[in-house]
Amino acid sequence: MALTGGGSHMGHLIDTQLTSYVSNSAALVVITVIGTILLGVPTAWLTTRYDFPGRKLLLVALPLSLAMPSYVSAYAWMSMTAVGGPVHDATGGLFPTVSGLLGAGFVFSISFYPYTYLLARQAFESNGTNSFEAARTLGAGPWQAFRKVTLPLARPAIMAGTALVVMETLADYGTVDFLGTPTFTVGILRSWISFGDPEAAARLALILLIVTLFIFGSERLVRRQSRVAELGGRNRPQHRVVLSRSAALFVCLCCAVPVLLGLIAPGLHLLTLALETQPVRSPIDAFWGTITVASLSALVAAFLGLGAAYAARTGGWFARASVRAAHTGYAVPGAVAALGVIVILAAMQDLLDNVSPLAAPTIAGGGLVALLFAYQARFAAAAIGPCESALVRITPSMDQAARSLGANRWAVIGRIHVPLAFSGIATAALLVFVEVMKELPATMILRPLDFETLAVSAHHYASDERLAQAALPSLMLVALGLPIMILVSWLVSRRQAESAAP
Amino acid sequence: MRFGIFGLIIAALTLSACDAGPSGDGAASGGDEGKMLIVFSSRHYDSDYALYKAFEEETGIDVRTIEADGDLLVERLKADGERSPADVIVTVDAGRLWRAEQEALFAPLESASLNETVPAGMRHPDGLWYGLAKRARVIVYAKDRVNADQLTGYETLADPAFKGKVCARSSGNIYNISLLAALVDRWGTEKAQAWASGVANNFARDPLGGDTDQIKAVAAGECDIALVNHYYFARLMNDDDDKKIVENLAVYWPNGEEGVHVNVSGAGVAKNAPNPDLARRFIEFAMTPKAQRFFAELTNEYPAVPSVEYSNAALEALGEFEEDPISLSKLGENQAEAQRLFDRAGWP
Repeated sequence: MALTGGGSHMGHLIDTQLTSYVSNSAALVVITVIGTILLGVPTAWLTTRYDFPGRKLLLVALPLSLAMPSYVSAYAWMSMTAVGGPVHDATGGLFPTVSGLLGAGFVFSISFYPYTYLLARQAFESNGTNSFEAARTLGAGPWQAFRKVTLPLARPAIMAGTALVVMETLADYGTVDFLGTPTFTVGILRSWISFGDPEAAARLALILLIVTLFIFGSERLVRRQSRVAELGGRNRPQHRVVLSRSAALFVCLCCAVPVLLGLIAPGLHLLTLALETQPVRSPIDAFWGTITVASLSALVAAFLGLGAAYAARTGGWFARASVRAAHTGYAVPGAVAALGVIVILAAMQDLLDNVSPLAAPTIAGGGLVALLFAYQARFAAAAIGPCESALVRITPSMDQAARSLGANRWAVIGRIHVPLAFSGIATAALLVFVEVMKELPATMILRPLDFETLAVSAHHYASDERLAQAALPSLMLVALGLPIMILVSWLVSRRQAESAAP
Repeated sequence: MRFGIFGLIIAALTLSACDAGPSGDGAASGGDEGKMLIVFSSRHYDSDYALYKAFEEETGIDVRTIEADGDLLVERLKADGERSPADVIVTVDAGRLWRAEQEALFAPLESASLNETVPAGMRHPDGLWYGLAKRARVIVYAKDRVNADQLTGYETLADPAFKGKVCARSSGNIYNISLLAALVDRWGTEKAQAWASGVANNFARDPLGGDTDQIKAVAAGECDIALVNHYYFARLMNDDDDKKIVENLAVYWPNGEEGVHVNVSGAGVAKNAPNPDLARRFIEFAMTPKAQRFFAELTNEYPAVPSVEYSNAALEALGEFEEDPISLSKLGENQAEAQRLFDRAGWP
């Protein structure tokens, strides 16, 4: 039954909308990748290479757009640029309404560029500007030196950032649905919602997953090939070129553009809306709800991320493959992931009920445990990455030295690995905090009774087309994300300072 | 740092303890005080919060809720099975009520008082669910650009005379799907397909945003007519800041021969309800005039119980209309067919 139903449904999809779903997804990925690279890479290079007034502030501000959920950004930009909106009026209608494929690409670019920026900057900092200088002394122009020397060295890092951007883009539903760009993920959700066929939706999600695995695999391959380059020219403190006044102003403005688009403009618009509106319900409960689930998940993610990174470091091929598979949780549309978690929990419950019919604890359905499980399934990638890169810095010879001095296994972990990898683990935990804070479908369906989060509350108002009411919880979400992202920036720069120290 | 971690663990434990606590208490005590009713709802409106509060005040029963999008709720209820804590299930759309019915998530509720107050068309024949409130799908037009005589029912949206002048939201939206499901029943598949293709050919722009965005697009002159739910229009009319948007717009009731398409929010007793008796009391309470007024006055919906009096300036201004007498379960049965027609029509 399920098979035949799914089959005819697939036939219908192939006959009608599938090509447009796929081409929309592909075009959106291309636009977003170009957009995030254009916003992320030059800003990373300018803030690494040059010194100018406002640089320190921009270093903190540039990653902050990640605190603004892309669907919130979409609501805000669409309402600002629609006829009658402030941007439309101010520019006399020259600024087109943010909608459709280009609109969605724009929103994703301004929301996801921090991934590219953060990783590119890390690469520029650790490779040093020395290679660039060397190329210059050998007669290369600045553009040539950047293109031929600096960029290839940073390419693996930029690719890694881009892989995250691609996964987020493919998995998004809220933004593309609102802006009227039916992508493959919209197709997945429609198979479920309109055709009442969760199995077909799961099958389509699997296709998406395989495509993502492929993208991710190629990214890994590229990264492995150029590992030597990563280790090459780092560990040298930077000296930055001080710019002339007008050049500094220009560079400063250029670097401010992404923050302006991704954070400040939509944030201000939401603020005006929130100030004009009397909230219907106090968002305080939702605020605490968000803090509770996000901090608990961050804690769990730090442990799991570390464990997974260990498995990848010391385990065999199976352990490594499992860790890679956990990464792809990122690319599954949130609602489908939530559906999967519901089904898995129910199956586990059946198993427990069979083993001990009376004493079995309740794990199926909602509740905090189910919710934490769902978050880990979805955001493991965000936790594993930083933990892994933190552990890379701890060489096996350190372990051997410690062991030869009589430390046992746990002492090695507790006294050597954890202190050395601390900033990496903390980065992992904080990134998961931000992701969980923004997560919607799993939170909605698995949360405990009467439990609100800011994301759920913003979604309820927005889905009822009450943007003004949605503004306050959205703003609080951003406000909560800001200090976390600032902490992430600080940890990343601390890590760079550590590795730069002789 | 350590204290932080322990603090969080303690917070987690307290939270899960609170979570398990009240349900046990509720079952044990004899009076209504301290009893707990669990509502799984895909509505999240001010009217519903008012309804919960009024029910709590009247009975002393504690109302706890899970609010999530309808399809997620159905999957959760399916997976939870016998362990489901839900007493009452509430959804916003007849198609989803039908889906929950197909999945056997409802228990029949026999109630003489409900049969008396709720019209037969607004409830399931076996009492699996009862309608709470209604929304009508209407056409909004610009008074200065469109002559009301040109409007002749839903057919107008597909009329070539309106090429490049029509706005509507995307086809994945449940209100559009339910409307086309009703039209399939009314006209048959072929004519419904022709209609969907005709509308898609008339679009002034690709579907974008929600119903309110379509109304704003008509106000801004991007299109002349738009397909929306009445209650978004009524909300703009009732808002002091927003009413200038709808100043030059009017609602056309596509009565035609068959009447205006109306969708329903409904509530039913969950099959594995721990407290079916409380669930019945809640649904009966929701049909009292006091509770029904909330839907009209706080959410601009039409109450399921027609005799209820309410004060809502916008709804009064919109006036009377003829309702399509279609059996609501058809909306669910034709749902997949409707999406297929939309897909073939190229209505994104």
